[in-house]
Amino acid sequence: MTRYIIRRILQAIPLLFIISVILFALMMNMGDPLATLGGRQPPRGEDRLRLARQLGLDQPIYMQYIFWLVGNDWMRFDTTGDGVPNTYGTRRGILRGDWGTSLVTRRPVVEMIWQRLPNTLLLMGTAQVVIIVFSLAIGIYSALRQYSITDHVITTGAFIGYSMPIFWLALMLMYIFAVNFKKWGLPYFPTVGMYDPAVGRTFSQVVWHMALPVATLSVTAIAAYSRYIRASMLEVINQDYIRTARSKGLPERFILWRHALKNASLPLVTLIGLDLPLLLAGAVVTERIFAWPGMGRLFLDHVERADYPVLMGILMLVSIAVVVFQILTDIVYTYLDPRIRYS
Amino acid sequence: MSSKSRTRHFGLVAVLLLLAFALSACPAQPVAPVQPPSEAEPPSLVTITFVQEPDNLSPLYTTMWFSGILNDFWLLGLWNFNDNLEPTPQLAREIPSAANGGISEDGRTITIHLREDARWSDGTPVTAADFVFTYEMIMDERNAVISRHPYDQFVAGVEAAGDHTLVVTFHEPYAPWLSSIFTYVLPKHILEPVMKANGTLDGADWNRNPTVGVGPYVFKEWESGSHLLFERNPNHWQQPNIDRIFIRITPDDAAQVAAIKAGDTDIGVFISFSDVPELEALGTVNVVSTPSGFMEGWFFNFGEQAHPAIRDRNVRWALAHGFDRWQITQDLLLGLSEPPASPWDLSPYASPNIQPVPYDPERAAQLLDEAGWVMDADGVREKDGEKLILRYVTNMRRLRLDTQVVVQDMFRDLGVRFELINHPSDIFFASYAEGGVIATGQYDIAQWSSQPEAYPDPDTSRWTCREIPTPDNPAGSNWNFYCNPELDELFARQAVTVDMEARIALFEEIEKIIQEDMIWLGVWQDNDIWTVSKRLSNVRLSGADPFWNAANWTLE
Repeated sequence: MTRYIIRRILQAIPLLFIISVILFALMMNMGDPLATLGGRQPPRGEDRLRLARQLGLDQPIYMQYIFWLVGNDWMRFDTTGDGVPNTYGTRRGILRGDWGTSLVTRRPVVEMIWQRLPNTLLLMGTAQVVIIVFSLAIGIYSALRQYSITDHVITTGAFIGYSMPIFWLALMLMYIFAVNFKKWGLPYFPTVGMYDPAVGRTFSQVVWHMALPVATLSVTAIAAYSRYIRASMLEVINQDYIRTARSKGLPERFILWRHALKNASLPLVTLIGLDLPLLLAGAVVTERIFAWPGMGRLFLDHVERADYPVLMGILMLVSIAVVVFQILTDIVYTYLDPRIRYS
Repeated sequence: MSSKSRTRHFGLVAVLLLLAFALSACPAQPVAPVQPPSEAEPPSLVTITFVQEPDNLSPLYTTMWFSGILNDFWLLGLWNFNDNLEPTPQLAREIPSAANGGISEDGRTITIHLREDARWSDGTPVTAADFVFTYEMIMDERNAVISRHPYDQFVAGVEAAGDHTLVVTFHEPYAPWLSSIFTYVLPKHILEPVMKANGTLDGADWNRNPTVGVGPYVFKEWESGSHLLFERNPNHWQQPNIDRIFIRITPDDAAQVAAIKAGDTDIGVFISFSDVPELEALGTVNVVSTPSGFMEGWFFNFGEQAHPAIRDRNVRWALAHGFDRWQITQDLLLGLSEPPASPWDLSPYASPNIQPVPYDPERAAQLLDEAGWVMDADGVREKDGEKLILRYVTNMRRLRLDTQVVVQDMFRDLGVRFELINHPSDIFFASYAEGGVIATGQYDIAQWSSQPEAYPDPDTSRWTCREIPTPDNPAGSNWNFYCNPELDELFARQAVTVDMEARIALFEEIEKIIQEDMIWLGVWQDNDIWTVSKRLSNVRLSGADPFWNAANWTLE
C-alpha cells in the first residue's frame, strides 16, 4: 500500500508539470493585463510600455514561464529603459515557494488566496454537509417507496431542481426572502455580504448571511445526489443478501443502515471524492451574486483582468487538490470494498 | 466498512469546516467604536456598494475609478472638484491664479500655499516636503507606478519653498495643470523608510493598508472581496458628521439593486439605465445622474486596415445620418441621456454652435449613392465588387450588445450591413504591442466610452498625428489613425492656453473639425448613475470627485 501511494505521488509530479505548462500557455493567450489596469480607460501608451518592462510582460512566453517556475533572481534586467540590464530580478519561482505577485493588486498571490480560502471552505463545506444529509434522506426515502406518489413527486422535484439555473435561483431567493419578506414585515434574510457592518463579524451573523447562498448551492446538487443514491439503493435492496437478512428476522432499520446503505455508498464516495477538491475553487455565480468574498470571485475577477499569476496560483492549487483527493479516494475504496487491492 | 468511510468523509468535511470557521474568525474583531458622539448612541455608519473592488489603495499603483473616488475620504490632494466642477481647496489654502500671484507671468510656474493646520492622521504636519517626495516616488525608476502623467512630459521640477509653499515649474505653460497635478500626496515620514529598506514602494504594506492618510476619514480595514472600512479622523481640520463609512463590494448588478431595495445600502453606483424607473418608484432613494466626462461614441477607422468605404467622408456622414441615436437613448436608456454633440459635451468646452448630426435616412441614402455605393439585388450596397459590410466592434457591456443589434436592424433598409464583433475588455483595449483589436486597427467602427484624460480638463492627445501607433511608436493612443496637421496645431495651442475663454474658442474649432471630418460620433452621454438613500442629506455628488464633500454629509 505504501509503495502504491509513493508511486502515485511520483506519477503526479510530471502530471502537475504538464498541467502547469498547458495552463500557462492558455493564460498567455487571454488578453493584455495592462489593458484594464486603468479602470474605465486603458492606461496611457508611454505608461503601458514602461509597465510591461517593469512587470516583465515584455519577455517571451517561455521566459515568463521559466521565471514563474524557478524565479528570475539569477538574471539581470533593464529597469531604466536604456536597453542595458542593470538589476537582478526578485522572484524566486513556484518551485522555491514563491507563487508570484498579482499584476493587478501587486500583492503576493499566496496572501490573496489565503484570505479567500477560509470563506470559500466555510460556504462550500456547509453546503456539502447540507447536500449529503438531505440527498441521503431524500434518496433513501424515495428508493424505499419506489413508484409511490411521494416517489413521483420527489422525482419531479429533483428534475426541476436539477434544471434550475443557479443565477436565477439565487436572485429569486434573494428577492423572495430578503427583499419581499422585509417589505411584508416577515422575518427576512440579508441580501449580500458576510455580516452586517453595524453588528460585526459574529458567528450568528455569518450563519444568517450564509443561509441563502447555501440554499442556492444545495438545490441543484441535492437533486443530482439524491438521484444517485436512489438508484444505487434500489440496486442493493433487491439483492439476495438483503432478502437473507430479512428472513433472519433482523429489524428493518438495521438492514437498511448496516447492510443496504453501506454497500450503496460506494458510488457516492466516488462522487464526493471528485467534488471535494473542487470545493476549493469556490462557486463563481453564487459568490458573485451574494457578494461572498470567496475563491470563485477571486478567480472570476482576475480572469477578466488576465492576471496570470493569480489564475495560475488558483488553478495549480485546485490541480494539486484533485490529485491528492484522487489518491485519497483510491485508498478509501480499499477500506470500503475488501475486494479492491493495489499491489 | 462503508459506514466507516462515510464517517471519514463527514470527518473530513467537518475538519475543513472547523478550519474555515477558525480561519475566517481570525480577523473577527468587530471594530471597537470610535469616539461615539455620546455614550448612548452607537457610531453612525453609511454603507456604500461598489460593483468593483479597488485593485490597490495607493494612487501610485492604480488609476482605477473605484479606488480614486475613495481618496476624498482618506487621501486628499491640493484641491478637488465640486458638483459644479469648480476647484475647491483642500490641502492648498487657495486656488492659484494670476490675480493672487499663484501663476507666474510666463504661465510656467505655479506657486501653491498649503494649509498650515493640515495633519496626517497620526498627527504629523503635512508639509511641502511630502509633495516633493510624492513627485520623486512617481518618477523613480524603481517604482512600477501606473502613470507618470503629467510629470514625465510636462513638469520641469517640484520644489519646496519653505514648509508650506510648493513651487511647480513646467517646461511650457500647461493648461491642464489644475486637474492633473497633486491630486494626492504621500506621507513621506511613513514611506521614505520603506523605500530605503526595500528599494521600491511596489510591495509596500501602506498600498493596501494605509493606516496613515489625510482626510476627514482614516482607513481602518480592508477585507479582500468583502469590504473596506473608514473611520472619522480625529486629526482632520473638519470633523465629519458621520462616524464610519463602510464600502461593501457587491459585484453583481442585480444583487446591488436588491440590496438598494432592501435598504441594505445607502449609496449605490453604476446603476443601469434600465433599473432607474423602478428605483425611483421606491421612494426610499434619490436617483442622481452625474456627468463624468464619459461619452459613448463611434470611433471611425482611418487606417489602412479599414474598409474602403469607411475612409470616405461621405460614407461616414451617411452612417451618422442613418444612425437614429435618439432611438437608442429613448428605448435603451429610457430617455435618461441624450446623444452628445462632441466628446466634450456637458462641459464648459462644449460649443453651443455644434449640434448632434440629425437623423436623416434620406440624406444618408443620397450620400451613399453619391459615394458610389449602390444598392444591389440582395439589398446590400456594393462598389467595385465590394459589399458594404462593416466590422462594428465593441466590448461585452450589455448596453453595447443591445445597441449593436438595434443598429444592425436600423441600417437594413439603407443597404448597410454590419459584422457584429465583441471582445472582453482585456482584448478590446489590448495595446498595439499585444496586437490589440482596436490599437492595431482591426475594425471599421469601434464603440466605447471615452473621457478626456485629466477630466474635468478637456485636454486629450487622442487625435494627433504623432499618437498614431506604429511599430516604432507602439504607445500611440490615436486608435482612429487620423492625421490632420490643422487639428494637431489646435490641440497643441489649447494645451498651452491658460486663459479659459481663449481655450473654449480653440475647442470650438477642434469640435468643428471632429464633426466635419466625422472622426467620432457621439451615441450617448455616459453619465454615472447613483442612488442615495433619503436617510442621507447634503450628499452633493460630483462627476469628477464624487465624495468631495463627504465631511458635510449628514444622516437622519
